[in-house]
Amino acid sequence: MLQQSIALIFIAIFIWRLFTQRKKQTINNNEFIFWLAFWLIGALAIIFIRLLDKLLITAGFSGSGINFLLYLAVITLFYLIFKLRLKISKLEKSLTDLVRELALK
Amino acid sequence: MKIACVIPAYNEDRYLNTVIAKVKAFVDFIIVVDDGSDKRASELAQKAGAFVLRHIINRGQGAALQTGSDYALQLGADIIVHFDADDQFAAAEIPDIIAPIIKGEADIVFGSRFLGKESNLPWIKKYLIWPLGRLINRFFGVHTSDPQSGFRAYTKEVAESFRIENDRMAHCSEILIKLGRGRWRFKEVPITVTYHEYGQKFSGGIRILKDLFIQKINQ
Repeated sequence: MLQQSIALIFIAIFIWRLFTQRKKQTINNNEFIFWLAFWLIGALAIIFIRLLDKLLITAGFSGSGINFLLYLAVITLFYLIFKLRLKISKLEKSLTDLVRELALK
Repeated sequence: MKIACVIPAYNEDRYLNTVIAKVKAFVDFIIVVDDGSDKRASELAQKAGAFVLRHIINRGQGAALQTGSDYALQLGADIIVHFDADDQFAAAEIPDIIAPIIKGEADIVFGSRFLGKESNLPWIKKYLIWPLGRLINRFFGVHTSDPQSGFRAYTKEVAESFRIENDRMAHCSEILIKLGRGRWRFKEVPITVTYHEYGQKFSGGIRILKDLFIQKINQ
């Protein structure tokens, strides 16, 4: 119960930060919706962790609900890093185009 | 036929003047792309009689070569030669590199360190790094004897047909991959390389591999 409460407090902080970022317009609508959904799903999974345990047993998983969430988090993180790398490489390309354009002027 | 030589330079003050002086006799114009070095490199190259373009920040050899090649086209070049600023290539071999193009036998010519001429290649590069590099390049469809050679020449038609997208060192393999798939005739000629410094390390090879994979994913 204590662990669940701590996790929920952290999620509440992240959601609050998300709303303040939106107020300052440092995050666009799509990003805001994605992260809000991400944290809300996370919060629901923590609140109903026992139900998740049962669901996983029914589905034939050997690990507990919290383990499953951890695996899911790692996979999500890897995916986000991958997306970030692609985005950085696109930004690098734009930067090069700009530098080249200036050099040729 | 107008021949342009593109020399990308990043903090290469030491050999730049010598290279320009040596190359001058074999080409119609020299384009030095100062890839974000301190101002001295640009001044030196300008005084030595080269056209100087300046990248305000360092973007890598591939990006500098593309800038230089674009400028060569603007100047009306028929053949574009890529040459290094560290005095490792022999300027006297520029006629050998462009000869197959002038004779109409090839559209692009690559210099190769592995076709007979003696070069002072470091042992570890010759017997470990380059064979490994060649093996990896085969995976990407490159079948030349020296996939990482920076000494090459191509026609303006070739230059107009493609863009170097890898800003850093992966551009050598990229050029080979793209031109290998195209309709262009290519040839390799033996060149001599004099190493003043060790040059690209094993970690550089890993970075090239990473860049090629990212480019493949981004396509």
